[in-house]
Amino acid sequence: MPGGLRLAHASDNKVGFRWNGSLLHGRKGDSIAAALHGAGIKTLAHSRKFHAPRGLSGSFVAGQLAQVEGTPHVRLDQTWLREGVNVVSQHSWPSPRFDVLSLSNLIPRKWLRAGFENPRFIRDGTRLWHLWEKALWHVAGEVDISRNPHGKQVEGLRIDVDVLVIGGGPAGIAAALAAKGNVLMVTRGRDLGGAVWETHAKPVELPKNITVRTEHEVFGLFKNGRVALSAPTAADRPAAVIHAKSVVLAIGKRSMPPPVAGADLPGVMDPHMAHHLAARHGVAPGQNILVVGTAQGRAVARGLKALGCNVVDFVDAARLTKITGRKCVEGAIIDGRTIRVDCIVHAGPYKTDPSLGFQAGADGDLRLLAGDMPSNVTLSGFATTPDERITVSQKPDRKALVCPCMDVTADEVFDLLDAGTTHLEELKRLTTCGMGPCQGFPCWFTLDAFCAAHTGEQQENQPLPTFRPPRRALTFGQAAGLSDLTEVDK
Amino acid sequence: MNLPKQTGIVIIGAGIQGLLLAAFLHELGRRDVLVLDAGYWEGGASGRNGTLVRGGFSSPEWAGLFQHSIDQWKTLSRRLGHNVMYTPRGYAIIAESEQSVDMLRTASKTHQSFSIPSTLMTPDALSKKIPALDANRISAAIYLDDGGTVPHHAVMKAALRACQDKAVPVHYGAAVTAVERTDGRVSGVWVGDHHVKAELTVVAAGGQSGDIAQMASVEIEASPFRIEACASEPVRPLIQQAIALVDRMTYLHQTARGEIVGGTELRGETAKRNLKSSEYVIPRYARNVVEIFPQTHDLRILRQWAGYLHPAPDGGPLLGPHPDVESLWFTAGWTYGIAGGPGAADLLSRAIVSGVTDTRMACFSVDRFRRGKPCIEASAVIDSASSAA
Repeated sequence: MPGGLRLAHASDNKVGFRWNGSLLHGRKGDSIAAALHGAGIKTLAHSRKFHAPRGLSGSFVAGQLAQVEGTPHVRLDQTWLREGVNVVSQHSWPSPRFDVLSLSNLIPRKWLRAGFENPRFIRDGTRLWHLWEKALWHVAGEVDISRNPHGKQVEGLRIDVDVLVIGGGPAGIAAALAAKGNVLMVTRGRDLGGAVWETHAKPVELPKNITVRTEHEVFGLFKNGRVALSAPTAADRPAAVIHAKSVVLAIGKRSMPPPVAGADLPGVMDPHMAHHLAARHGVAPGQNILVVGTAQGRAVARGLKALGCNVVDFVDAARLTKITGRKCVEGAIIDGRTIRVDCIVHAGPYKTDPSLGFQAGADGDLRLLAGDMPSNVTLSGFATTPDERITVSQKPDRKALVCPCMDVTADEVFDLLDAGTTHLEELKRLTTCGMGPCQGFPCWFTLDAFCAAHTGEQQENQPLPTFRPPRRALTFGQAAGLSDLTEVDK
Repeated sequence: MNLPKQTGIVIIGAGIQGLLLAAFLHELGRRDVLVLDAGYWEGGASGRNGTLVRGGFSSPEWAGLFQHSIDQWKTLSRRLGHNVMYTPRGYAIIAESEQSVDMLRTASKTHQSFSIPSTLMTPDALSKKIPALDANRISAAIYLDDGGTVPHHAVMKAALRACQDKAVPVHYGAAVTAVERTDGRVSGVWVGDHHVKAELTVVAAGGQSGDIAQMASVEIEASPFRIEACASEPVRPLIQQAIALVDRMTYLHQTARGEIVGGTELRGETAKRNLKSSEYVIPRYARNVVEIFPQTHDLRILRQWAGYLHPAPDGGPLLGPHPDVESLWFTAGWTYGIAGGPGAADLLSRAIVSGVTDTRMACFSVDRFRRGKPCIEASAVIDSASSAA
């Protein structure tokens, strides 16, 4: 693979941009994340408490966020590269190049468990406590927005359709073609086809009754699925209130990250991200790739090979016991043997994102619990197949991270379980697991799997915590633009 | 679940009211307290609120109770042996309309007579304290020096740990299914088929308090009202203080993790009895925040959720014995429950143990509406009270 990770079919058109002050080059049509990965930059962010490196994973969103032209928390995998754009990594102080916060990875992880901010040695509302709180606050917030240019009000849109199809992959397209009346398709992707058609580009001719909104996310289903909210990934474009008679969730499934130590390292990727990098951007996810997964994962290994990537092996996900490396993936331990690779693509177990289905059907007075989906909301395609089970070793590695964005270790969860806290809502609150940008998917499944392994109970024996919108899909400005388009229940 | 057959005091609800009352009763020597909760730790309003605390209200009754509560907040960490993270970072009550400015003037006088550290400020003076706000939009503000925030996870952890340290039994997942009445008094409760005999029953069940009252065949003049809040992605300190925008019925603050957390109440919204979130609250909250703090425009919203207030017709709490049945007390009807929690628990525990009711609590008696003596408060950022009335 001459020229690093770029594959033969990559564009030759170079685009210059700045990363933490240095001039780098991507290619025309890259996302910022792809350009960085292609330039060999694997660590895109650092975690908040451990200051551990995080990269382009597809699973842990905090590793894919940076400041772009001064705007914080921009998703690098959803933002297109422009000539001269200035990208700065977050969570460093005073600067990414001279980062005092990196010293925090010297602190024992046990000392940084959730609740560490109210230490036993400062017990009351003293001056010392207030100084400590201010210092923490400064570190925790990552980015200063006090001098941000004030965006212009983005007026929202109201859209009325017969059928709303969420997801632009083959299942979404099939559902839209089969639907009667006015159809709106919404996809997070840049164009239709999802992961599958990127490789075998099949131009699709859609009839006039189907409208498509790309680079949009439907993040909320309200009023039993009759009202949906969606927002574009770009903050300067309007969000929409969608009134639909019926909703099709053609949202597919996502691969759950391996429940082993090291799964948070840059170089561990889900198949969507890996495939997207290779197919769309012509960037190999790594020089030497190991694919781990369930039976369906073999297709991912074949697909990456077909795109020119060097896939060294495919192994069953259950055989992976540890991922090694200091700043990024250096190896994988399979059956006690180390395989030297710089990238691990996990392709299964697969689960469907429960968020929208949960919101459409959930009800409750003391606790919001999943209910039956209303009859106007249906699943379609891959999402209709049963979720696969996460296999956690009988003696799970306590160093494994349950929630890499919020730096929650299995050790912390196990100690709480041993002390008698077993309710997942309580574990969530006590550890902050899933309270970062992913809002629980995939991390609450991982939490549940680790808890089950430790207590000997079945997975999903108790309900997961409440899935809450908008999961960072919406800005304050976009939300404000919807205020005259929604009606208060009176 | 290992429940006793008999206890002195059973408290229904292990939120901030129930837990602090249990801890304070223990301080006063009661070793016969049992706390029962139908849900899970932090599952109710005590884990869903905006975490803002202030004593500076405009009516003498509210100012009396809530400033007493601020005094309790100041020493609560020491008292419980765990840090509740009370931070008097300042609390700004911001007025835009003329009517609200008049209300602030009245409140300012009340604050003087109660020696509450409070300053009536011009927009310019306020923007020196809070540089991020758009001072052109506002007319006046009251700044409360000892108002601020108490993160609910810290308070609830401290309160539960304090009960555990003192060996006060607290049971979550223990729903009271029936209340027993014998000869005109409440004599105990049922948790499923388990009976607990009690000399005194205290209802501290938040939005569910009315359900418990009904089990005892009495009524209370308060009903659950769902409101919603949301949290943003974390950013460095932009807003140091707790903020109440009275004309917009909006409140917010920035947590120690950097998230901007707050909510808006909407005039005339129907009361609902579920925890589903809606599509219409967060857009209105966001518009209110962006208009006053325009820097938040491109900030992303992480999550939204709902929780219950339990407003009485005047929005004030219902504290003390029920007039129609003996041995049934309430600490219910809360709309500013996190702010008033320690104050109410302090006064209630003393009233239960000594039999003498403090005047700051007496004015919030359960039967005040029947007596024609509501506690009207003009500076409360709530509308649900009037709609519940």
